[in-house]
Amino acid sequence: MMQPLLQVSNLRKSYGRHLSVGGISFEIAQGSCVALLGPNGAGKTTTLRMIAGLLPPSAGSIGFTGSYQGGDFRRELGYLPQSPAFYGWMSGQEYVVFAAKLAGMNRKEAEGKAKAALERVGLKAAARRRIAGYSGGMKQRLGLAQALVHRPRLLLLDEPVSALDPIGRREVMELLREIREETTIVFSTHVLHDAEEVCDEIIVMKDGLIAEQGALSVLRSKYSQPVITVRTEKNAEAIQWLNSVGAKPFILEARLNGEHAVFNVDNLKQARHTILKEAAASNIPLLQFEAGSSTLEDMFMKVVGG
Amino acid sequence: MRNTWIVYQKEMLETARTYKLIWIPVVFILLGAMQPIITYYMPEILQAANNVPQGILEGYVMPGAGTVMSQALGQYSTIGILVLVLVAMNSLSGERYNGSAELVLSKPVSPAGFVIAKWAGLFTILFLALGLGVASALYYTEQLIGSLPWMDVVAAAALYGIWLLCALSLTLLFSAFLRAPAAAFLSLLSSAGMALADSLMPSWFQWTPAALPGLSARLLSEGREAVGVNLSPCLSAALLILFCVAGASTLMGRNKLPK
Ligand SMILES: Nc1ncnc2c1ncn2[C@@H]1O[C@H](COP(=O)(O)OP(=O)(O)O)[C@@H](O)[C@H]1O
Ligand SMILES: [Mg+2]
Repeated sequence: MMQPLLQVSNLRKSYGRHLSVGGISFEIAQGSCVALLGPNGAGKTTTLRMIAGLLPPSAGSIGFTGSYQGGDFRRELGYLPQSPAFYGWMSGQEYVVFAAKLAGMNRKEAEGKAKAALERVGLKAAARRRIAGYSGGMKQRLGLAQALVHRPRLLLLDEPVSALDPIGRREVMELLREIREETTIVFSTHVLHDAEEVCDEIIVMKDGLIAEQGALSVLRSKYSQPVITVRTEKNAEAIQWLNSVGAKPFILEARLNGEHAVFNVDNLKQARHTILKEAAASNIPLLQFEAGSSTLEDMFMKVVGG
Repeated sequence: MRNTWIVYQKEMLETARTYKLIWIPVVFILLGAMQPIITYYMPEILQAANNVPQGILEGYVMPGAGTVMSQALGQYSTIGILVLVLVAMNSLSGERYNGSAELVLSKPVSPAGFVIAKWAGLFTILFLALGLGVASALYYTEQLIGSLPWMDVVAAAALYGIWLLCALSLTLLFSAFLRAPAAAFLSLLSSAGMALADSLMPSWFQWTPAALPGLSARLLSEGREAVGVNLSPCLSAALLILFCVAGASTLMGRNKLPK
């Protein structure tokens, strides 16, 4: 097994008595694409800033392995904050050249690489225009260009598509899919769909802790449990019946919301048979009955909601 | 080191693009030229205002070149400081609050490098503005009033420059952890406080940077030999500047992220 590129162990960050990140551990393998998934306030930004070296952790360690020349690990890092701010009086080209020089390139090399990076993110035509006149989507793409220009070994992107309209979002996702072929990406999002579109691994965060992590394929089958959804007419007798079903031994977990119920069951066949038979016998006014399997989305909604 | 230079170049490009490199020297040139010109034409000005009592006009004595020059420099301790502080107040706080510092500091740039580049940028503006301002004051003084020993003027301007640099460095320090208006207010307050303390109890404060403007004025009116060498205000100014830059670096490191 190859040594992981990034190794985070027991990382904590507290502000006074408030714990933003409460001791998390994970590893990122070279060449992988990992989504840091979680609702607002989960601690995604805090985690990424600590990895980027912008925020000192309260405890824990971050190990970045590799052969980087000259010492400063930030040379090997590309970082895009949640709402990147540039110098409005600069042109896009000038900013990316500035970033490339800071990463150690000489002027000539920086200019060549900046041009290529801007072309790559689709800003070739706007490269000589002042950043002050860029749209939100263009700024996000400029942010990607400045994070990419020095070919970093690890790319940290904080909610790269959250602030964009559907078209801008499409463009950036498309780019990420290309970029992931070349380097390791960690990006945060609060939308599971974004993660599934680009990444093969997710880390789900909630309240500063990791609620679940792993390869998407593994998690999909892990959370693919038999599920029965039942909806009845709104009457007291029916609701009482739903409650009684929830207490049956073959129900692993019941989520009741008035006349709407979701049951996780261990044996779909038996459960379906029993529920339908009872419903018919007790003359329950069923509106909907559905037998299927739960998805990752259900798991994520449960983490986010509960 | 190299990256500090790159950030400094960016600073200078910004001062040029936002016209600071033009308008600040222009203000200093106007302030410098105004004093000798107004002094020279004072009799005419008074005459034009025809309800001036006779005695004032007859009693008007043209001040010496040294006095005019030190009055011109005196303009810089009021309007000059104000202009410089208003320019410097945003230097760190603006970038902290809008997030542009976060992006730059995610690159191999240390907070100290960032602060030093900012300080060097401000120093360059001050150097240019004061240099050109003093040159214009000297030119009109020589043309209209009388000649001055150049070396004395250069030394006097340097002393004044160090005092202005103290005010700039204080602004930078406050700008590293406060919002721009608060930073400007506090640095103006502390420079004014030091100057006031020096004027009330000169013997107590003659070793502080606040003694520099007075020293500069004496140098111009009495000459270098009469004033002699007085290093302690320069030394304390150097320490103050060093403290401000070091303090600003530490505070910038802690407050670099936007809220
Ligand atoms: N500078 C700060 N001071 C105090 N609390 C903070 C600070 N930054 C973040 N927090 C808190 O830490 C928690 C996690 O924030 P954040 O990492 O921004 O979450 P996310 O990016 O997942 O939305 C939030 O509850 C937030 O209020
Ligand atoms: Mg965030």
